[in-house]
Amino acid sequence: MTDDANDNIGGSGYSLEQLGDYLDGGRTPAIEAIEGNAECQAVLASLERFGSLSRELVSRDAAEHTEIDETWFSSLMSSITREVKAGRDIPLASADPLTTLSITEGAIRGLVRAAGDSIAGVIVGRCALTDRAPEDNSKGGVAVDVSISVLLGTPVRGAAEAVRQAVYGALLKHTELLIDSVNVTVSDVHVIPTEGDAR
Amino acid sequence: MTDLTALSDALLAERSADGDEIAFAVLVRRHGPYLRAFATRLTGSSADADDVVQDALITAWAQLATLEEPAKVRSWLTSIVSRKSTDRIRARKPVSELDEERAEIAERGPEHRAIETSQLDALSSVLSGLPEGQRQCWLLKEVAGYSYEEIAERLDTTVAVVRGRLARARATVVTEMEVWR
Repeated sequence: MTDDANDNIGGSGYSLEQLGDYLDGGRTPAIEAIEGNAECQAVLASLERFGSLSRELVSRDAAEHTEIDETWFSSLMSSITREVKAGRDIPLASADPLTTLSITEGAIRGLVRAAGDSIAGVIVGRCALTDRAPEDNSKGGVAVDVSISVLLGTPVRGAAEAVRQAVYGALLKHTELLIDSVNVTVSDVHVIPTEGDAR
Repeated sequence: MTDLTALSDALLAERSADGDEIAFAVLVRRHGPYLRAFATRLTGSSADADDVVQDALITAWAQLATLEEPAKVRSWLTSIVSRKSTDRIRARKPVSELDEERAEIAERGPEHRAIETSQLDALSSVLSGLPEGQRQCWLLKEVAGYSYEEIAERLDTTVAVVRGRLARARATVVTEMEVWR
């Protein structure tokens, strides 16, 4: 194909550049001179194909270099560890009026994850902590909302209740937090058993 | 310890957003090679790619809570890598040099592509041979899914320049890949 041919694809009156714009515009509104022209259709199909092949090419590059440089990896992970996601401090009840105790949100989430993961067939996803003011039907404190994924075949209701109890128990034991409620939502199902499920 | 390597991207991204470093490490090992491959194509340097991807992942760790669709964590990471790569490209090259693209064309001839045995090899070769600015526009458009406006902003240039580079890149790709059509 010569440059001249690129200016008037298949005698349609449209240049390659214009076809590219048309493609980027989602081919709407439809232009009959392009849609009805075999050469234009072939060029549009090529542009789309070479776009998707470009993504494939990056995937192939990746497949050819799957190894991760461990020095690079360690350096990354130590930067991340320095940037701890502590979140805000949540005050704890203290018997001594001169002392203030608090625990970070990050630490609470860590406890919740560990407690939930300890239940067979369960992996914890998100964990949200919300402060609740005391109301008629609530004593107030921290509401813990946990989403979990269960291994396919695990009885969902039993798993959710076991997680609720484990999380409640862990928070009572380790934090002295005033706990308003622990709510567990099953948001996902996973198929491949993980090491923790073998226990 | 619970083994997380078989978990979905969505679940790993959620745990990472909540501060689970082990879940994040699984995501890094899973998607690191793709991100590195993309950054290498975009910056044209594997050494730059290592730095750029590391930088992007540190940013990602800090911003994970803002990720709205955890299942799409790879494309979210890819866009951060695009940003860091273009920062790197802008920092090392004065804008005027980017316009002197035509000079690079003389260095390559069509004959070295005659021996390519697969369509992917041929495309790889054509893309590698594109002038730098055109290659960046092509990759940001086709791989990262950026709009003309986003590419112009990232490369610190105008939409008209992006449109022109993309048009030239497309002409080259369509012409040189014609045998594979």
